[in-house]
Amino acid sequence: MVLDKTKLRRSLICWVALSPLLLVIIFPFAVMFFTAVKPPEEVFTYPARWWPSHFRWANFADMWQAAKFGVALKNSLIVSLSSTLLAIAVSIPAAYALARFPFRGKGFYRQFLLVTQMLSPILLVLGLFRLASMIPYGDGNLVDSHIGVIVAYAAFNIAFAVWMMSSYFATIPRDLEESAWLEGCGKIRAVFKVFLPLAVPAMVVTAIFTFINAWNEFAVVYTLIRSEENKTLTVQITDLVAGRYTVEWHLVMAATLAATLPVSILFAWLQRFLVKGLALGAVK
Amino acid sequence: MTQSASSRPMMPWLLIMPSFALALFIISYPFFNIVFQSVHDVSRFGMIRDFNGLTNFLKVMADPVFMDVLRRTLIWTVSVVGGTVLVSVPVALILHQDFYGRGIARTVVMLPWSVSLTMTAIVWRWAFNDEYGMVNVTLQKLGIISGPIHWLATAEWAFPVEIMVGILVSVPFTVTIFLGGLSSVPGDIYEAARIDGATPWQMFRKLTLPLLRPFINMAIVLNVIYVFNSFPIIWVMTQGGPSNSTHILVTYLYELGFRLGRPGEAAAISLVMLSMLMIFTGLYIRMQPKESGEA
Repeated sequence: MVLDKTKLRRSLICWVALSPLLLVIIFPFAVMFFTAVKPPEEVFTYPARWWPSHFRWANFADMWQAAKFGVALKNSLIVSLSSTLLAIAVSIPAAYALARFPFRGKGFYRQFLLVTQMLSPILLVLGLFRLASMIPYGDGNLVDSHIGVIVAYAAFNIAFAVWMMSSYFATIPRDLEESAWLEGCGKIRAVFKVFLPLAVPAMVVTAIFTFINAWNEFAVVYTLIRSEENKTLTVQITDLVAGRYTVEWHLVMAATLAATLPVSILFAWLQRFLVKGLALGAVK
Repeated sequence: MTQSASSRPMMPWLLIMPSFALALFIISYPFFNIVFQSVHDVSRFGMIRDFNGLTNFLKVMADPVFMDVLRRTLIWTVSVVGGTVLVSVPVALILHQDFYGRGIARTVVMLPWSVSLTMTAIVWRWAFNDEYGMVNVTLQKLGIISGPIHWLATAEWAFPVEIMVGILVSVPFTVTIFLGGLSSVPGDIYEAARIDGATPWQMFRKLTLPLLRPFINMAIVLNVIYVFNSFPIIWVMTQGGPSNSTHILVTYLYELGFRLGRPGEAAAISLVMLSMLMIFTGLYIRMQPKESGEA
């Protein structure tokens, strides 16, 4: 590769201009990492230092026990996977309709999606709690059950999923479906045979972002889930911090790191798809 | 395609119905329930007693804490959204340039988005710890401050710190929207402007900013909604303290409803917040048709 001099200079300027923001972004990750690997006695020494005397990886094993990380991880996976599947399943047809048909009520539906974003879970949290406590399930009701959380997450992620997918669906040329009709393929069959295979990447990307949204949510689980064995990671880890007189920060940071890193890597890998999908989907 | 839409006019509605029904179900009952609770006397254990008209609303209005919280919520929303847009426009312009390592820079700028707000708040709470937190340690090493600052225990510091965190977590989403907007700007208009002798600042003012406007508007609306409703940052970092100095409406509402046993008033605050958002979004939608005509 030939290094281009003006581009090199421009690169330098760009990096220097971005550096304050990049530092502030990296800072919490560095705090997480260095606290997570510190021996406990070095976390609370004054004056504190960044670098640990040695890396104590056993913190992660201790954290796994102390935070009941395995159970919370399983709960997070169940809740996030199920709500993603439900949200995507109902959003695919809606996104297809928005991308392909002009119809009466389209504007209304779009405004409705915007309203669902305004009525965020936290605003409705009192009512959601009431709704869950009203629906009988097992010996009791949907309070402290994953089902309530899953349905709520799915509902609140519909707007995002429809926006993302409809903007991608609109980029898939109609001619392909139309030529399939000419060859005698029924319209519904054409959707399954021609359109859906092409739409798979968009659906997968949207599903992953929906998954991350659900994985990171806090208020709904915090309100609806009562018992420790049903809590997800965000709430479980918050419980290690909130209302405690002494917080074992090395364990808390190990837990936040373990809960965050896999999702961050996934996100870093896929973030370029967001630029196209979100901006176009929401403006048009 | 118009032909298929007219031959089967119900088709689009059938396709939309599942998502519409699910979202409506989750939203409508809680909404009506909140309306119901807000006009009833509700015991601290959630027992609905008598209809009491606007008593809950009047109680809320007479509550001096509420007025404080309301004012602070406006400061919070305006500062976080304003700060986010001010940071995000230049960042998006830079990330739109062609430079070495752009992919890495974009990825790093997006990273805060991938982290749960709750986790971010936990990490910053630890980083801003008085004695052992890395913020004080680093600032002292650099000689910027001489002794530790009690960031989260001091009313004057805690809220600005939370605003800073709020801006930081809103930047990735906003930059993403702006990058989408910038990528739809045709490159040749800049070429033409350059030939006409336009300065970079003129090009920014006269070309980039107008083309970016619909995207800035959308980023402002969505961010106002998200930031106004943002719960975890303040709840995890300070729980509204010290002495109610960092509560915003959502955290106060949660405290009233689930901690202080005043669900009726909490429901009333929900409705007040909702009407504020409705008015705001209504104004935005009224502005909208003109915008989409251009875009």
